[in-house]
Amino acid sequence: MAVKTRARGPSALARGEERTALWLLLPSFLIIAVVALYPLGRVVMSSFTNERFAAGVELRGGQFIGFENYRQLLSLTLRSVPQRLDAEGQPMFADGEPVYEHPRLFLRGLDTPRAYDAVSVFDLFGNRYVLGASSARFIRAVWDTLVFTVSSVALETVLGMIIALTLTAKFIGRGVMRAAMLVPWAIITVVSARIWEWMLQPTRAGFFNAFLTEIGVIDRSIAFFQTAALQVPAMVMIDVWKTTPFMALLLLAGLSTIPTELYEAAEVDGANPVRRFFSITLPLLTPTLAVALIFRTLDALRVFDLFQVVYGEARYSMASYAYYQLIAARNVGMSSAASVIIFIVIFTFAILYIRALGVERDD
Amino acid sequence: MTRRRSAGKLIGQILFWILIIAIFIYLIFPFYWAFISALKTQAELIRTPATFWPEEPTLRNFRAVFQNPGFIRGLGNSIIVAGSVTVLSLVVGSFAGFALGKLRFRGRSPSLYVILAMTMFPQIAVLAGLYAVIRVLGMPALPSLVLSYMIFTLPFTVWVLTAFFKGLPISLLQSAQVDGASTFQTFTKILLPLTAPALVTTGLLAFIQAWNEYLFALTFTSISPAARTVPVAMALFAGQVAREEPFGEIMAGAIVVTVPLIALVLIFQNRIVAGLTAGAVKG
Repeated sequence: MAVKTRARGPSALARGEERTALWLLLPSFLIIAVVALYPLGRVVMSSFTNERFAAGVELRGGQFIGFENYRQLLSLTLRSVPQRLDAEGQPMFADGEPVYEHPRLFLRGLDTPRAYDAVSVFDLFGNRYVLGASSARFIRAVWDTLVFTVSSVALETVLGMIIALTLTAKFIGRGVMRAAMLVPWAIITVVSARIWEWMLQPTRAGFFNAFLTEIGVIDRSIAFFQTAALQVPAMVMIDVWKTTPFMALLLLAGLSTIPTELYEAAEVDGANPVRRFFSITLPLLTPTLAVALIFRTLDALRVFDLFQVVYGEARYSMASYAYYQLIAARNVGMSSAASVIIFIVIFTFAILYIRALGVERDD
Repeated sequence: MTRRRSAGKLIGQILFWILIIAIFIYLIFPFYWAFISALKTQAELIRTPATFWPEEPTLRNFRAVFQNPGFIRGLGNSIIVAGSVTVLSLVVGSFAGFALGKLRFRGRSPSLYVILAMTMFPQIAVLAGLYAVIRVLGMPALPSLVLSYMIFTLPFTVWVLTAFFKGLPISLLQSAQVDGASTFQTFTKILLPLTAPALVTTGLLAFIQAWNEYLFALTFTSISPAARTVPVAMALFAGQVAREEPFGEIMAGAIVVTVPLIALVLIFQNRIVAGLTAGAVKG
């Protein structure tokens, strides 16, 4: 490292180099300051205000309201729901099942400091409970985004691994397969959402209903996007199709760095393929897998395009909730608070991953 | 014994090919479905059950798409935006990449970490702030898109180019300096031409990312529909008949905006794979 020792001395050359370096970095840091750091700072500031867009696009200066936006977004309450009583004051039953009061009655009362909406109603140890939130739609968006992230990342890791392992074999048409892998990746996310929207039409004009009816799996068409229980799985399905190739490409590159002698030695020792996968492939692939998981998890947590295009305001991801708070409700303060929460969630995931997987980047 | 083993091998081979074909169909089928839907007549599109092959293929949907002013304007806007983003991030990124990869100065590691941290930045976190900045600066929609896309193209470009510059032999820099060239001259005259392959890779990826972007495009063009890019045009696609979504035309549009990109990706296949996996795989 001859250069390094020279740079220690205050030679004219070293000083010139340092000055050049700073000039060369200046444009990058100016851009980062304007498009990332300043806006982020502004978002954090306005998350503590009740700033709104008034009359179109003019910003009306907001007032400082402390943590009120955060409280409004995150307040939760758990209430038990009593059984309904009949005229004699006896608990009511219908077909042997207890009949409960309407949960909403216990979320909006005089004794509650703010209005809550039901997020979920569940039975536990013979009692019924209702979980209420002051922003039920936001809490649902956070939950849906987490479910979406965990299931799509898990599925695409498994599928990506299967595809990558298959493509390590040498066969005729391997080049074609590798090319085919880039097709879903090259399609614009909005476009892939629209293609799948068309394939998942609620009638048999859509591919899935036509196909599933044809092979006799279903006898009535499924409204994938209108059935609450299928809304998030449908998003997962589209996302997995679009991003599995990326995962497979990363894993394939990682697999190609594993020396083949290891497998030959293991085969001589009589290790079966499953054993070989778990004792050679998986440990050596861990660094690649870790980086791929981080990339994909952080990406999935900020999902916006799919939810916004397919559901609009019918069902939110965290990001589309913040978007509609800003654009439709013109509620700059509330949208900013939601953005800060998203930022914290993503940041937490990044740190947890890096700690847990021990990923280190050398510069 | 040998016969049983060869039979097992044959079954293995058959299963392997079934797997290959299944993967291939999974990857390609939605694209195929969009293509045949684009070729169908309106009557065939809404017929149940759906046909797996167009009975009387027609180019009507493609013609309609090319006569749709919103769609054509979107294509033009996207080419302008993605092209400018690519050029800007390559120029600015190669400056930074050279400084970080080849020059010695104080604050080098912190600078690298700031840029790496930027790659994890969620766009939604700056949306409201960026919107306000653009309103205050009074920037038109297209330049504001170009500037805001730097948030995701620049960190990646700098990261890959830094690694590339670092790989170039230091002797190039030293001998040029001995010959009396300034550091900046060494960069533009000697090192930059050598980075051409890395510039192509990062440029392509920046172009594709910018071509794909939706959140900023949707937000910043909300009051200037003339500046809508392809993803926004595709999301808000409206046909001649209001209320009913013109899926035939949407699928034709999907094919039109996807085919050039797939061609580009296939031509530069190896470079793109190398760029995508750069940084993710050591060794």
